[in-house]
Amino acid sequence: MRHLGAIAGRELRSYFVSPMAYAVLAVFSLLAGFFLVMQVLSFNAAIAYLEQTQQLETLDRFNLNEVVVYGYYHVIWIVLLLLVPGLTMGLFSNEKANGTEELLLTSPITIWELVLGKYLAAGAMVTLLIAVVAGFIGILFAYGDPEPLQTAAGLLGLWLLALTYAAIGAFTSSMTPSPLVAFVFSVLVLLMLFFLGFAVDVGMGAQAGGAGADGLLENLRWISSDGHFDELTRGLVDTRSLAYFGFMIGVFLLLTKASVESVRWR
Amino acid sequence: MIEAQGISKRYGDFVAVDNLSFEAEAGDVVGFLGPNGAGKTTTMRILTGFMPATDGTAVIGGYDIHEAPLDARRAVGYLPESPPVYPEMDVRGYLVYVSKLKDVPRAKRREAVDRAMERCGLTEVHRRPIGALSKGYRQRVGIAQAIVHEPRVLILDEPTVGLDPNQILEIRELLARLARSDEGGTARTIVLSTHILAEVDAICRRVILIRDGRKVLDQPLEQIRSEQGSLEQAFARLTLGAEAPPAASLTASGSEDGE
Repeated sequence: MRHLGAIAGRELRSYFVSPMAYAVLAVFSLLAGFFLVMQVLSFNAAIAYLEQTQQLETLDRFNLNEVVVYGYYHVIWIVLLLLVPGLTMGLFSNEKANGTEELLLTSPITIWELVLGKYLAAGAMVTLLIAVVAGFIGILFAYGDPEPLQTAAGLLGLWLLALTYAAIGAFTSSMTPSPLVAFVFSVLVLLMLFFLGFAVDVGMGAQAGGAGADGLLENLRWISSDGHFDELTRGLVDTRSLAYFGFMIGVFLLLTKASVESVRWR
Repeated sequence: MIEAQGISKRYGDFVAVDNLSFEAEAGDVVGFLGPNGAGKTTTMRILTGFMPATDGTAVIGGYDIHEAPLDARRAVGYLPESPPVYPEMDVRGYLVYVSKLKDVPRAKRREAVDRAMERCGLTEVHRRPIGALSKGYRQRVGIAQAIVHEPRVLILDEPTVGLDPNQILEIRELLARLARSDEGGTARTIVLSTHILAEVDAICRRVILIRDGRKVLDQPLEQIRSEQGSLEQAFARLTLGAEAPPAASLTASGSEDGE
């Protein structure tokens, strides 16, 4: 694993000499800031309305965490789904397009060093995005008093989600020499994963009258990230959720490794 | 230095390389010739560890490419058909990166990079992004990355393709210099593929000719000249196939005394 640093370092540097990383960071910061302002403004408007109409019971249950932070994290989820593929699309496809794949595969490095080095760089970029979110959320602490642990658990959820998306993006990037194809394909996979959760919820709702949850639906629900992420944003740090993200990252890195190596099988 | 032992590469029914064996010693400069699609690039990719052979193996610098792939790859410098460069990196940064990949010890990295740049005439452009360099310079960067770790074996896939006549001469001179034994080190083994027979005349001492993945000629250049008239004639006769003599009669002699 001694080449890990060299590979991750080159990848990180290449992020910052191309406009892509800056574009993604700028768009992300803009959206993250915009949505936070929207959340806070609608929160204020809702409180004013509740006070005016004397709905004190509802007002009591109304708090920063459940309304602002929870909703905000879910919006950021969608933003990540669309932007993380932008950070990962070139990871392997550019190597194929440049012909540098030949340099890498004829160097005395292992495929794992290559895959993990690149994933490390993508993970660092994704962590930067989450740091931006954390910064914005920090502003809430200056003006209100959100529950710190629940807020942190949600951030952890976002981070794990983004790392999972980066692993999926790395995999799609390893399958094509075109970054654009990699981007579209990974957004597609992420959307499928996203909607899987809703579909299963609908399916379960339809079966609600029946004798307990169906095994297949239960499994599909587990594969979809929705439930695990939702638990974390509610402040429930369950080892099952953590294991889920670890599992997904592991599976997609394994697939990436196999895909990079596959030029050797052909 | 290189011992290819019955290398074959098959893609389904298609045989790209068919039971190819040859040897090259330190100091050998071997021209690897053949028509397009004869299996030159495939053979080179197998020798450099880019992909495994379906059958057979090769020993490079004492290491079996399938059993000790990392050691074997460390002993080889490879220039693929298009130089494997990152356009956004500058020349020095790129060569430092390659030297890390190729396990040049940290303490020797700077020196190794400086020497490779000096040999390839890159010193004055060392801070320029590779994407901004001319094709000839990019080719030199490609050669510099192949030699930065002082490999004992150099494998170059069409090192002068697409260059103008002046650039071709420069690269040829560079290769001729690289072929001569190192200052204090052991001599290199160079295998290069090309379509330019004059290039082979200029720098190679030995020729291996393949056709349809099979070796049809393996002789020192002087022997080809004296026995076959000229390299052009030998190439045409053996690869057009019309009155080609059986390969065995040509490969039997001469392959041992490569020097």
